[in-house]
Amino acid sequence: MRGIKRMLWLPTLALLVVLSAGGWEVAPAMESGDCLGCHADSGSVGERAAIDETAFAATPHADMGCLACHPSVGDSHPDDAGAFGETDCSDCHSDVAAAYAKSPHSVNAGCTDCHNPHEVRAQHEVSGYDMNRQCATCHEGQEMTERHRQWLPQTRIHLASLPCITCHTGSEKMALELYVTNEGQSTAEGDFELASYQDLLALTDGEEVASLINRDGNHIVSIDELRAFNQNPVYRGQRLHGMMVPAQMTHSYDILYNRWDCTFCHGTGPKSLQKTYLSFPNSDGTYSRVPVESGAALSVLYATPDFYMVGATRNMALNLAGAMILAGGMVMPFGHGFLRFLTRKNRK
Amino acid sequence: MTERIYLTPTPVRIWHWLNAFGFVALILSGIQIRFPEYANIFGSYKAAIRLHNTAGIVVSASFLLWLGYYLLVSRKMRQLYLPTIDDLCNGVVRQAKFYFLSYFFGHQSPHHASPDDKFNPMQKSAYLVIMMVLVPLVILSGLLLMNVGPMRTLAVLVGGIKLVASVHFLLACSLCAFLFTHVYLATLGSSPLAYFKPMLTGWEEVNHE
Repeated sequence: MRGIKRMLWLPTLALLVVLSAGGWEVAPAMESGDCLGCHADSGSVGERAAIDETAFAATPHADMGCLACHPSVGDSHPDDAGAFGETDCSDCHSDVAAAYAKSPHSVNAGCTDCHNPHEVRAQHEVSGYDMNRQCATCHEGQEMTERHRQWLPQTRIHLASLPCITCHTGSEKMALELYVTNEGQSTAEGDFELASYQDLLALTDGEEVASLINRDGNHIVSIDELRAFNQNPVYRGQRLHGMMVPAQMTHSYDILYNRWDCTFCHGTGPKSLQKTYLSFPNSDGTYSRVPVESGAALSVLYATPDFYMVGATRNMALNLAGAMILAGGMVMPFGHGFLRFLTRKNRK
Repeated sequence: MTERIYLTPTPVRIWHWLNAFGFVALILSGIQIRFPEYANIFGSYKAAIRLHNTAGIVVSASFLLWLGYYLLVSRKMRQLYLPTIDDLCNGVVRQAKFYFLSYFFGHQSPHHASPDDKFNPMQKSAYLVIMMVLVPLVILSGLLLMNVGPMRTLAVLVGGIKLVASVHFLLACSLCAFLFTHVYLATLGSSPLAYFKPMLTGWEEVNHE
């Protein structure tokens, strides 16, 4: 009997050993939630290792999970002296890294100097204001304004209407993004400052913020909707501020000499600005763009009263009106002059 | 018999030619600013903008010179530029009849210029609108466009920067149209250059038959 028990005990023990050993292998890997259990709290891990949970959730990186970039993190973390095996950005973004490596900017800053991988967003989710804020962490605003003032007319207007990357990357095509601004304290942009998500939420009584202008919720802002917003006395304290952003971001940061030629922007004609978007803030700090319907140039004139780009936003209707006025001025020289020529003998 | 009369005092001639050259500079640079891909008159866009801004300031200053001279020095603003009731009711029609009909039959102008009555009723009415409405508006809208940043609140108040720029453009076209007519009418004197001479020397020769 004792022998039988011994015979059963041994396989059971072996099975337990195998199962437990196998258990180590099939146990679920650490999830992002596990990481954020500690890393969302700066009190636990310190400011440097802390992650803003909301901002991280809005990034494309969140879907990949923490271990995609930190593969060495295991159960012994953080007792293993913090080994977490950082992945290089170029492992995934090789084309961007290759383009950036060729730019003079790469000598001065690496990817993470400009992009916090835990808060990174797609280009269209970032406002022009945020783009400039990023550059301003190294390039001090006042100094940059003074340096541009040496050659750039209307310096403050240009710098308030253009993210740095519009001129300092190789992007050739531009889009116009319109942001709602609130009348407020004096700022670099004048007496209006960018409206926050909470500001817009208060204006829409808790409805989707885009409904402030996109009234029918069809995700295309019509010229009529833009005009209705601009003419509504309720929104007298709000104005639309336009910024010309690159249509497609590149990482070829440089001082580009073709941007010194004003006609790079001012001579391209209205076609360059046909792609227009209303850009609204979201609760997580990102922005969502709603395209604006392309309309008759004269309609756009009233639809975006504060965006005017000399030489580029002229429109055919006004040009025709001007031509008719000029033609009126020609009536006397040509009409009267012709009759004068025919009757010249009468005055001798 | 030919009589010489001193018709155009020196400050007015200075104003007139500052204005004339300023306007030509503004028109040419304005064409390049609005249509840069079709007109490169001054080498670069920035040069055109600088010239436009400079000429705008010169024209504004010369406008103040004109206003100051006629309001404060000669005190003839009302006398020379404000049409009387008779001018509006009869004089304009009489002058229009001359320009568009009797001129072609060789008749003389019903109006004879003198230092105290320089302009015919049509000139008075046109100059009043030009100098008291169009020029001040084009100057003010131009100053606003030159100072969009500091004057943004004002731009917003008047309907936005795009509206200001459009008004500026249409006013400029109107003044340009006036210029064509003005220069042409200046050739209708006893000889084509008869009216140009007083704007250079101040003196006009008047024939008494």
